[in-house]
Amino acid sequence: MKSKAKDLTDEELHQIVEKAKAKDNRALGRLCEHFYSKIYRFIYYRVNSIEDAEDLTSEVCLRVVKSLPEQKGLFYAWIFRIASNMITDYYRRRAVRSNVTSTGDLIEEMVDEKRTTGELLEQQELRQAIKHLTEEQQQVIVLKFIEGYDTDEVADLVGKSAGAVRAIQFRALTVLRNMYVRKDGKS
Amino acid sequence: MEQNIELLLDNCIDEIRKGKSIDECLADYPQYEDVLKPLLQLAVQIENLPQPNPSSEALSSALINLGKEMERNTAAAEISEAIVPSQRDVLPQKGFAASMKKRKTFSFFSEGSFRNVFRKSKLAWALSTFLFFAVVLSAVTVSANSVPGDILYPLKLATEKVKFFLTFDSYGKAELRLNFSDKRLNELVEVLQQSKTLDTSLLKDMLDEAKLALEENEIPVEKASILTAKLNHVNAYQKTVLENIRPEVQATDRKIVDDAINVCDMRSRWMRRMMNEEYQEQYDEQDTTPQSQTPNRKRHQPKRMQWGEGCDWMR
Repeated sequence: MKSKAKDLTDEELHQIVEKAKAKDNRALGRLCEHFYSKIYRFIYYRVNSIEDAEDLTSEVCLRVVKSLPEQKGLFYAWIFRIASNMITDYYRRRAVRSNVTSTGDLIEEMVDEKRTTGELLEQQELRQAIKHLTEEQQQVIVLKFIEGYDTDEVADLVGKSAGAVRAIQFRALTVLRNMYVRKDGKS
Repeated sequence: MEQNIELLLDNCIDEIRKGKSIDECLADYPQYEDVLKPLLQLAVQIENLPQPNPSSEALSSALINLGKEMERNTAAAEISEAIVPSQRDVLPQKGFAASMKKRKTFSFFSEGSFRNVFRKSKLAWALSTFLFFAVVLSAVTVSANSVPGDILYPLKLATEKVKFFLTFDSYGKAELRLNFSDKRLNELVEVLQQSKTLDTSLLKDMLDEAKLALEENEIPVEKASILTAKLNHVNAYQKTVLENIRPEVQATDRKIVDDAINVCDMRSRWMRRMMNEEYQEQYDEQDTTPQSQTPNRKRHQPKRMQWGEGCDWMR
């Protein structure tokens, strides 16, 4: 299993955030660079296309710049909450939740990752299955298994207790397993 | 039971992250193997999914938008504060700016942007300065017609003091004093018409300014006679005005007006004598000076006035 890649310590992050709050443009830029990939992945599993994920991530960066002076509490939790609200707005605007990943995205990944069509389809199925989970299940699965946070950190990020996160994690994995079982015709 | 399974699943995930295999983790909980094993396999599978990463173009595009937003915020702050921009906020920064140079489309830290922000703040500064002076000039203009008791009257007096302070030659100062004396008389009449009361402080100031005008030293001799003539004229005018307003003044204050009229009268006589003496001196000087000699320039040395009795209230 991979572990969370932490390129900034908590102290470094705190310093950058404080500088960014004091209108230090370099710190703001660094903050955006640092969080861009994390936020992108968080959004990617909850929207329908790479383009939408990129657009939403850019919007999150802008929202962060505008709202940074009012930021309080845990910075990670704050930024993921912004992303989560943006996703909600995204679906409200579209009023539709498509399950189909575009063929273009699939081909793009094949070229980028140099993997076989079979592998990709399997991974795509798993990703699509994650997109079928509820909003809070998606959040926990992405933060825990894609971003690599531990349970306590996920609890802080989503504003729930560690016990609640464990329960959501258990239910989410059970739902995913049941999807696979049904698909394979074992039940 | 359910609570225990959730906790066991979480513990197993932690153990696997530390390097244990799924089977090693489940060896301690054989009774839960059927439930936990597929879930752990799924968790491992999800963790091993290739991480979707944003394209470099998307990141660049986001940073460009971010830079534009910051530029807008900086310019707005500069204009609202109307101050010269702090170079700390707009000058190129080392780390982030250096990385941005590679992305040629990024414009926030470019020289053009800096100039743009600077130009905007210069414009804002110029506009603010213009507005400030426009407001001050308007207030000064309006205050010229103010009388004691008006909000702008202190501004009128302050403006007079500034004018006097900025006038360096004695003749100019003397002329200003005459002007101030005239203004005090106008104010006195205005107040009397408005409130039917005599403002004795204005009357005192009127007489004092006229006296101080004559006491200005270092007035060139060729201008001394002009000043004396002007002062005589102002004095005569003030006497006439005071005589005219006397019936409107309350009976208790008429004695004061009479004293002031007396002062004006004495001054007029004194100045007429002065002008006659000066004329005589000039006539004598011309008569005794040889034609080829240029007469020495004399400085005007006014003689001290003798104030009449009954004017103690003015001292």
